[in-house]
Amino acid sequence: MSNRWVGKSFATFVLLPFCLLMAFPFVWMLLTSMREQNTIFNGPIIPRKFTVTAYKDAWTSIEFPLHFWNSLWITSVTVIGVLVFATLSGYAFAKLQFPFRNTLFVLLLTTLMMPSTALIIPLYLELKSLGLLDTQTGLLVLYISGSAPFAMFLMRAFFQTLPDELIEAARVDGGSELTIFRRVILPLTRPGIATVVIFQFLQTWNEFLIANTVLRNTDALPLQPVLFTLMGQYSTNWPALTAGLTLSVVPVVIVYVRMQRQFVAGMMLGAVKN
Amino acid sequence: MATTLTREDVVRRSAERTSYRFGSPLRRSQRIAGYLFIAPTFLLFLAFVLWPILYTAYLSLTSWGGFGSPRFVNFDNYTRMLNDPVARRAMVVTLVLTGVTTAILTFLGLVAAVLVNVIWPKVGVVVRTILFIPGIVSFVVSAVLWKLIYDPNIGTLNRLLGAIGLDSLQHPWLADHRTVLPAIIVVTVWGGLGFNMLIYFAGLQSIDPNLYEAAAMDGANTLQQFRHITVPSLRVVTGLIVSLGLLNGFKAFDVIFVMTGGGPNHHSEVLGTYLYSLAFGTTSGSIPQLGYASAFSVVTMVLCTLAVIAQLWLTRRADR
Amino acid sequence: MGERHEGTVRRRTVLKGAVGALGLGSALAACGGSDSGGGTTSGGKAVVRMWSWYGEQEDQFPKLIEKFEAAHSNIKIENRVFGTPDQYLPALQAAVAGGDVPEIFAPHTRALTYGTGGISADLKKDLGDDFLKDFFDSANQEYTLDGKQYAVGWMAQTFGLFYNPDLLKRAGVGEDEIETWDDLIAAAAKIRATGKHPVALSCNPTTSSLDFFLPLITQVADDPTFYLKLDQLKDGTSYEDPKVVQAIELQKKIVKAGVFQPGTTGTSGDQAPQIFYTEKAAMLFNGSWTPQGLTKDATPAFNKKYKVMKTPAIAAGKKHWTANQAGAGWAVSETSKNKDAAIEFLKFMYSAEQYSPTMNDSNSMPATRSAADRIELPIMKQMTSWLIDGEGCPHIPFGPGSVAAGDPLAKIFDGTGDPAAVAKEMQQAVQNAKGG
Repeated sequence: MSNRWVGKSFATFVLLPFCLLMAFPFVWMLLTSMREQNTIFNGPIIPRKFTVTAYKDAWTSIEFPLHFWNSLWITSVTVIGVLVFATLSGYAFAKLQFPFRNTLFVLLLTTLMMPSTALIIPLYLELKSLGLLDTQTGLLVLYISGSAPFAMFLMRAFFQTLPDELIEAARVDGGSELTIFRRVILPLTRPGIATVVIFQFLQTWNEFLIANTVLRNTDALPLQPVLFTLMGQYSTNWPALTAGLTLSVVPVVIVYVRMQRQFVAGMMLGAVKN
Repeated sequence: MATTLTREDVVRRSAERTSYRFGSPLRRSQRIAGYLFIAPTFLLFLAFVLWPILYTAYLSLTSWGGFGSPRFVNFDNYTRMLNDPVARRAMVVTLVLTGVTTAILTFLGLVAAVLVNVIWPKVGVVVRTILFIPGIVSFVVSAVLWKLIYDPNIGTLNRLLGAIGLDSLQHPWLADHRTVLPAIIVVTVWGGLGFNMLIYFAGLQSIDPNLYEAAAMDGANTLQQFRHITVPSLRVVTGLIVSLGLLNGFKAFDVIFVMTGGGPNHHSEVLGTYLYSLAFGTTSGSIPQLGYASAFSVVTMVLCTLAVIAQLWLTRRADR
Repeated sequence: MGERHEGTVRRRTVLKGAVGALGLGSALAACGGSDSGGGTTSGGKAVVRMWSWYGEQEDQFPKLIEKFEAAHSNIKIENRVFGTPDQYLPALQAAVAGGDVPEIFAPHTRALTYGTGGISADLKKDLGDDFLKDFFDSANQEYTLDGKQYAVGWMAQTFGLFYNPDLLKRAGVGEDEIETWDDLIAAAAKIRATGKHPVALSCNPTTSSLDFFLPLITQVADDPTFYLKLDQLKDGTSYEDPKVVQAIELQKKIVKAGVFQPGTTGTSGDQAPQIFYTEKAAMLFNGSWTPQGLTKDATPAFNKKYKVMKTPAIAAGKKHWTANQAGAGWAVSETSKNKDAAIEFLKFMYSAEQYSPTMNDSNSMPATRSAADRIELPIMKQMTSWLIDGEGCPHIPFGPGSVAAGDPLAKIFDGTGDPAAVAKEMQQAVQNAKGG
């Protein structure tokens, strides 16, 4: 019993400095967002005077609410879209038998192998010829196509942990594969879905390069590209930038905290079942 | 009252059906469902992933400034790559950074997950969140923050070292070619640890606790339990994490570009940053070199494919 | 059992909802996006898109646009200001590749390439010589090739030696003492003795080192058009020319004398000013955009005291040849339907009532003589006067491949490298890069 206690204390002791290191840059970011610009590099690490003008600055000068809403919309639709595509195909690759299954799977994985910077111009040209340039639909299509394979990869790994007998029993009971999928499999995939939601939300929320290139009308831009216009070639408005970044991190943290609970709960459930 | 199906029933019945005659209803419905389920993802892939990849491969055989028609040059770009000292340097740096970062991230991810698993659950949630936070912002943001921390004159790192009397350790971290790579590794590990820890943590949850109790009763200590139960059970997860680490390493761009731009003098140049400089960079000069840059994309793709194939092959063996 | 049903219902609803949302989302998004998708007219008006990273005039652009649109009801201006050139160039190049060039755009160093490629218009034709003659010669020359001019300068830049009078005094260096490079070297020794760096300089990326080095070539040649020829490798000019080698030798001498802070090749463009305003260096070699940054980043006390002097000359009594060109300019799309509207707006922006206040309010250096006459900020006035005096010389490589000369030069800044060998490498590098 006391052994356990010692183990826990030791672990906490080791993790604590780690946590400080992890959190430090964000603490810096938060502090910078609340100080005057000319004290950032000149003054002490903890500012003597705190001010929230940077937040007002960030809110008004770059039309924060508009772009925040754009990001929210684009990210939510992407997450849902990716979920739909990834769970369906992830399940198929994990549990269904069909010819060329493994080849097709590896083929889809090539999505993960291209550096996105290289694809900018081909994607631009393609969207243009499809008439989807400068539309949020075009951006959504690109996001979902580019992200679904990775989510599919995660879901497949997750589905592989589900016992085959479950599916066999359902097949014996009759019903199409789709029904089996909906009634038997989906209820068990909460941790998998939670994982995908966390990572997909995070990845799409932070995306910059593609949105910046493909959307020309500034009103349609999501938050990240607009935030970074606060970084200039020669000088940057650090307080406003860090204020904007702090604000932009909030939704992601919320999603993470909420999904994390489901994620862990689901994992534990999976362990008990096994 | 519905008849309860016993496990034997299921196994017997499915055995009866395992004479999978080609075209048997069971097999066929699976086939149809299989293709149907993957169709949406696959179609999107064909249109918006495969086509751009093929187009990029085509561009790598041309010389193109981004307007007018690309000029076909066969494999000139690739021979140029072999003779280009910056390209050679970029390849070496890419491989070194990727290898070291992946190894550290895999190891530390596991250690962190184990530690988090051990401590009190409520504390665990907080710690997990804090460890994951660096991954919540984009790589660009982490690079910007860390660049300021590393700044030789006004950066927090040097100021802290000075404050505790370790002046001699102060360094121009990103400007000295001896310290620039380790500095970059720290930032990459900082940003990626949370992700790995989370995946490993999930993996740990699915290990049957009875295994540990049984081993403890047999007299195994914590370290032995770790080596013989934890690590083998996590083989698939480890394979996943290693291959993701390799993929991210080969494609790396944001962090390095923002922090050093590939400098000082190309000492931190990787395939991704060089590619970007050639295509869009302010340092590519007056003519974008999209053909040559595409050749680097192709090389990156080849590296990534090799990494994935290696991982799939290794984990398949593990299942046997 | 009951829980599973609940779960099923939830999942089914989620799926249905997802598909519905996707469909609805696409429909809505298509509605929202189609207004500006691809078309160059909006409600009957000609749309002129203006793309740049000129954040300096972020507050001024909307006012200019408002005034212009009020007077021209058939033209709509869509302004987009990116953050840095690295954020801007991918978007611009994608647009160029798609045949969709913005009507007015910042050409960066692509100015001449896009010009000869038919992307940007010949402004000598479209704006006329009368309009162009108000611009500084250097601003016009940098954008001119074979008698055609492909862009106009928007913000001129001059480089100078910003200095901290207190630190100079402390080192026993007189403010008027530094006229030649030898003077600077002597002063550097005194400054280092007080524990400060003499001059802060950024050489990361290596192209920044060209800002310092290229004017040395002009100083040796005493002719600003020499580099313009070298930039294009025209008429057989090569980096192995003795003038260039001499410039490299001079550069090496300056570096070896410890004039700069250690690690210049690792110091980026935003870090060098930081070294200066945190008073770790007595001087800073940087461009005329520096005052604007200092007003925001440095303490008010510092802003009151720093001053600027000309780049040292090669010998007493010789011209100083301070680096100046207009890195920020405007090009006009040759192929756009609304090119005429674009030219209209361009003329408006440069008109006497608009251009000077715009530049003044943003603490920027104008590229025309008439506007330069009306500058108010003292330090800007001083630096612009060098331009007016004709001290300007090129420092930006516009020619194909010229930028590659920066990499071999880095060796000199790192303290190694033999000038003749480096010159040869520069020639090689530029020729290789040309081929790409």
